Parts: sequence; C-alpha cells; structure tokens
Amino acid sequence: MACGVAQAKTVFAYRFDYVTSLLGLLFQLYVLRAVWSSIYRGHDSVSGVNLSTMVTYATLASFQNWLLNPWQFSLIPDRVREGRVAVDLVRPVGFVTQVVVAQVGRTAATLPFGLLLVPALAILGARTPVSATAGFEYALSLVPAYAIITLLSVVVGMVSFWTIELNGMIVIYWMISQFLSGTMVPLWFMPSLLRDFAKILPFQAFSYTPNAIYVGQIGAADAIGAIAIQLVWVALLYVLCVLIWRRAIRRVVIQGG
Amino acid sequence: MGSEPIICVESLVKEFRRTKQQSGRFSAIRTLLTRERTVSRAVDGISFGIPEGELVGYLGPNGAGKSTTIKILTGILMPTSGTVHVAGIVPWRERKRNAAQIGVVFGQRTQLWWDLPLSDSLELVGRLYEIPPPRFRFNLKLFTELLELGPFLSTPVRQLSLGQRMRGDLAAAMLHSPRILFLDEPTIGLDVVAKERIRSFIYELNKEQGTTVILTTHDLDDVERLCQRVLLITDGSVLFEGDVESLKNMHTRERDLIIRLPPGSESIELANFASARIVDESGDLTRVRFNPQSLPITELVSFLLSKYAIVDFSVKEPELEEVVRNIYAARSL
Repeated sequence: MACGVAQAKTVFAYRFDYVTSLLGLLFQLYVLRAVWSSIYRGHDSVSGVNLSTMVTYATLASFQNWLLNPWQFSLIPDRVREGRVAVDLVRPVGFVTQVVVAQVGRTAATLPFGLLLVPALAILGARTPVSATAGFEYALSLVPAYAIITLLSVVVGMVSFWTIELNGMIVIYWMISQFLSGTMVPLWFMPSLLRDFAKILPFQAFSYTPNAIYVGQIGAADAIGAIAIQLVWVALLYVLCVLIWRRAIRRVVIQGG
Repeated sequence: MGSEPIICVESLVKEFRRTKQQSGRFSAIRTLLTRERTVSRAVDGISFGIPEGELVGYLGPNGAGKSTTIKILTGILMPTSGTVHVAGIVPWRERKRNAAQIGVVFGQRTQLWWDLPLSDSLELVGRLYEIPPPRFRFNLKLFTELLELGPFLSTPVRQLSLGQRMRGDLAAAMLHSPRILFLDEPTIGLDVVAKERIRSFIYELNKEQGTTVILTTHDLDDVERLCQRVLLITDGSVLFEGDVESLKNMHTRERDLIIRLPPGSESIELANFASARIVDESGDLTRVRFNPQSLPITELVSFLLSKYAIVDFSVKEPELEEVVRNIYAARSL
C-alpha cells in the first residue's frame, strides 16, 4: 500500500511532466481524427464500420493507452540497472507486490489528469457507448485489461534480471504490443492472417477487447466470451509471472558496490 | 558471549558467473553467442559468528567480498554453498521475516524515495514495516533528536546533502527497531562532522538499545572509534578475527618512542639495547623504535632519562591505518 502512495506522490512531484504528456495526447487524438476522416472521405462505411465509430474507437484506445499503459513501464528495469533492487529486496514486502502496487498507485494518481480530458474526448468526436449494456461490459472488461497490462509489464521487466539492460527491448516490445493490441489500427482492419495472429496473443485483450465492446464491434453477447478470454490471460500471465520470478530471484545480481 | 551467536556463517561460498568477453573481430557478436563462462569466487569459504549486542567491523580491500557477504546476510543474494543463520532465520529463504528483524543501510544507495520529502519517506517505511504508531512516533522523535533531522524533514530527498541523506537513511533503517543493523560503508564520502554524528548515533544504538551492528567501512577511524571486534577478509576468506588491539599487535609489535632533546645536545647512543634502534633523527627530535615485549618501556625510558637531558618524550601507538595498509600490501605481492 505504502509503495503505491509513494508512487502516486511521485507522479504529483512531476505533475508538469504529466500535463505536458496530456497536451501531447490531445495533439495525437486530433491527428488521429484527421487521419481517419481523410481515409473515410467519400465512404460512409469501411468494412461495415462508419467514421464516427472508428473515431470513437481510436480516441478511446489512445486515451486508455495513455492512462493505463505508462510509457515508463514497470519499475523493474530501472531498479535493476541502478542496483536499487537491493533496497527493494530487503523490505518486508514481496518485490513483485511492491512493483504492482506502485504501478496501481501511479495510475491512480494519473486518473485526475485523465478526467480533465474527458470533455475534450467528446469534443474530438468520441461517442457514448452503443448501449447501456455495452457501457457496463466495457467498464467490466477494463479491470482484466489493466491486470493484463500490469502483469505483462512485470513479466517483461523481469527479463532485466537476466539482461540488466533492457531499454532497446522495451522499445521493440512497446511497438509490437501497441500494434498487436489494436491500439493503432483496430483488429477488424487487419488482414485475416495478421488478425488471427493478434488474436492468439494477449495484447488485444487489453486494448481491442474493451474498446471494441464499447463501440459495439464485439456484440453484447460475445462480450461475455471476450471478457472470459481476458480472465484466462490474467490467470496465465499470473502463473508465468510467478514462475519467472522464482527463477529471477536466484539470478539476482546487484549492480555496484 | 557464551550464548548462541545471533549471526552464524559457515563455509559460505558465492560464485559469480559471467560470460567471457571475446576479443578480436566481431567480438561483440561472439560474446553474445559464446557459452564460455568465467567463474569468480567473491566469497570463498567464510565462517564466523557474531554474538548479540556486538559491534563488529567487517573490513577488507575493495573486491574482498564484503558487500557480497552483507547481501547474503540481508537475504538479497543466494549463496552458492554454505549455511547462514541470522537470528535463527535463513535470510534468502525467508526474506520477509528476515527483513523485519534487520535494518540495512547501503552507503552508496538510498532506501528513501528520491522525489518525496524525508518525512514522507520515513512515514512510508513505517507503513511498509507495519510499525505500531506509538513506537513509530517514539522512534521518529528519538532519531530526529539524535541525528538532528529536524531542519530538513520536509525537504525532498534529492535535495539533501550526502550527510543529511545518510542520516535519513540511518533513521529509516532503525525505525522498526531491528535487532541487527547492517551498515555497508555508512560514512563513505562524508565530511568529518557528518561522520562524527553518524558514529555517535551508531555507538548510542549499540550501547543503549543493544542493537547488534555489522559495519563495513574503509574508514579505519570508524573502526577504532566503534568496533569491539574486527573481521578482516581478503580474497573472499577470513584473514583475521579478533579485537582491534590484537590486530595491531599481530602485525606491528614495535612502538616508536619520540624524544625531544635540548638544541645542540649530542645524539643518543643505544648500543646496549639489542631490540631498540634509532629510525629517524631530525633537528632535536629522535625516533627510537623498540619492541615492548623484549624491552619494557620503563627500562628504556629510565635509561634515557639517566643519560640525556630529555625535554619531552611521547610513545606513538601504531595506527590501524598503517597496519591494514601493510596487510593489504602483503596480499598484493
């Protein structure tokens, strides 16, 4: 708990940073809308999806990505590279718990900045969910989505126990996960082979699933199945996380002094 | 002593494996692909026991394996082989339980939150360790007083001076009243005043609260001031274990007697003492080196007083610094 509070406070210590990234996000959303509008020029719908649905999806996916999937990643790679993991490991709380709680704390602190943005989302063209049920299912699916994001960041972050330096890998991971999660281009626009590939990976479960539910591309009935798949991913990633951690702790090498 | 030692270390070994760096053409790629490993033994069969309430200096040159041992004792590294018990707990198996009974200060890194005020950090530590509020308040007040934290409690840690940060770290490490305190170079890079403040705090803790302290340092003043016992390791094994006095005696038995003669007097002759010799004569100061075991100092002094008009004299104890320098130097030969 305390770690979460600490991380949240750290966010506030750097509020200028967050406000700046907020402006960056607004700009990104504006450009996204312009791009999709120009693609749709002269068409009422593409693959059965109209412009307003598309803009809603793109706006929401980017916003959600900004809020829940921090670019700073999990704390693990930094802590390992600087050797500060030593300090974390002598605390009476498990290391993974500390990392997860810190991430939740950071998200919680980012939330107020995000809420400031909701009116802007509406202005930029995001619509309300297609139905009340979809809205409810969307909110429900955000919970496993966040769990998947967090678990993935822990799993990938723990690789740094083996490699020490992870920055290059994080950039690649980031780009791949952004694409395969459907944040940049929704899965329904992908070629079928790529779509099938994306579907067997966990990434789509944190971005495509909730947003497609929101805009009705995953129907209210199918949504239950999609959320179940999310939950399966949460369970699988959790097990993976525990397994990797057991091996990582034996590998611990503390940098410096 | 008599009772079970609070820290037991037996035949501790820690090996590090790293991929061998290849040289020559495509060295980076070949390093990446090679299965060749080099194994280095940072700790090579160390055994020792520390009784509760003792303040022990853990010394050794850079790379001797001090920090590695501390990391194993605090549970953040797993040894390759050997057994360790810290107050009955195997540190790396029950890391959380071990954490509750030890305090750790790594001089080179901080456990405080960089961006938060010191008081916030301390409060967070209090919550992490689930310290009961009355004890938290009591300790915070005590440490604020002893370490004079008051003036910078509300300053973000990144803005603290090194000395202030170290005092903050010490307070954070002791807030949950651990039985054992590990200090890994707590005075590194500090000025004389800051060092002194930290030393007196450590001294107080050990004396008043009976905290067992394991101190690694390169500052031998720390050791002379604080430590009842010294463990000296080089190359991963114990070279010496005992009190500071016997460490000095073991390696330098001789003492220097410095004599001041009135200006213009004749120089001293020591012909009839086999174990004493003049090592330096400059101006009116003469330095006589002798072995107090074969030649009692009283005998030497009374002889000199009877023959020469001595203005002043003093006996110089060997300095730990010099002793340790000799030991380290001997090692590298």
